[in-house]
Amino acid sequence: METLSFEFPAGQPARQRAQVGCVGSGDLEVLLEPGPAGRLNIQVVTSVNGSAERWRHLFERMFAGAEPPALNVDIHDFGATPGVVRLRLEQALEEVSNV
Amino acid sequence: MHETRLLPQPHDLLWGMSTDRLDAAAPTWAAEVLAAGRPVVVRRAPARDGWIAVGVRGHGREQRHAAWMPRAAIRRRVQPEQLTGGGEREGVCAPLRALALLQPQLDALCRQRGLAWGVTGGAGYQLATGVTVLGEHSDLDLLLRVPRPLERRQALALLERLEQLPCRVDLQLETPAGAVALRDWASPAARVLLKAGSGARLVGDPWREVAA
Repeated sequence: METLSFEFPAGQPARQRAQVGCVGSGDLEVLLEPGPAGRLNIQVVTSVNGSAERWRHLFERMFAGAEPPALNVDIHDFGATPGVVRLRLEQALEEVSNV
Repeated sequence: MHETRLLPQPHDLLWGMSTDRLDAAAPTWAAEVLAAGRPVVVRRAPARDGWIAVGVRGHGREQRHAAWMPRAAIRRRVQPEQLTGGGEREGVCAPLRALALLQPQLDALCRQRGLAWGVTGGAGYQLATGVTVLGEHSDLDLLLRVPRPLERRQALALLERLEQLPCRVDLQLETPAGAVALRDWASPAARVLLKAGSGARLVGDPWREVAA
């Protein structure tokens, strides 16, 4: 088990919270809550050790296109592939922006 | 008709893979596992004709290695359905105690609805090989083969039963298009994660998806 923290620039706080994914091997659980304006804080608890660089690259690629909303994100990872992580994060971001 | 039942399915355990089928970058523990005569686990991934995507399992979560095995090399195959009787009511290991408690319930459910269930993951591997990989805090991984739609409220009722057991149970619903976690399908989420041979995707209803 390893806990990783990341911070990225962000826009205005998201309007609502969201929870997607589930606890189980090959998947992850993602909790999103509106955070302080301008900041996206991500905490990852993962069962895979030594994966900090992989997570950083994945987040950088995801947030490269458009500025994400300000959020506190909690991720519990159970060995999900990068493809699954991306799907779940996109699903979660969609949910916080749907009002 | 193609005999799909004879084709190895994800989670099947296969014996007969030789160490020379490992790629040059394979870790030494993977070669040791094969040399000891242990099986590989069929993965859900594309493979060329005549080949099967498999995984070699070592100690702990970090020791997993992806490989491909020629179908012709299969000497023995054990399916998750063959391992359901391996529970230990008085066992020291929580996943095997949970299995003993669940077996009559899942057998009854499967008889009523014409389904099949099986044991996968560490518990399946341990029951099939005798190699101890489970600990007191391990999960119990199961699959339920569900060719026809399972209503979400029925999924929730089943999940609630699983949550009363001595360890965490991770049950995958095997649909014709791929696998979905029971926990996901039992949730109110509009879309769920379908793990298919061609990769994972989010879908509204796994039973309306076409197998890829």
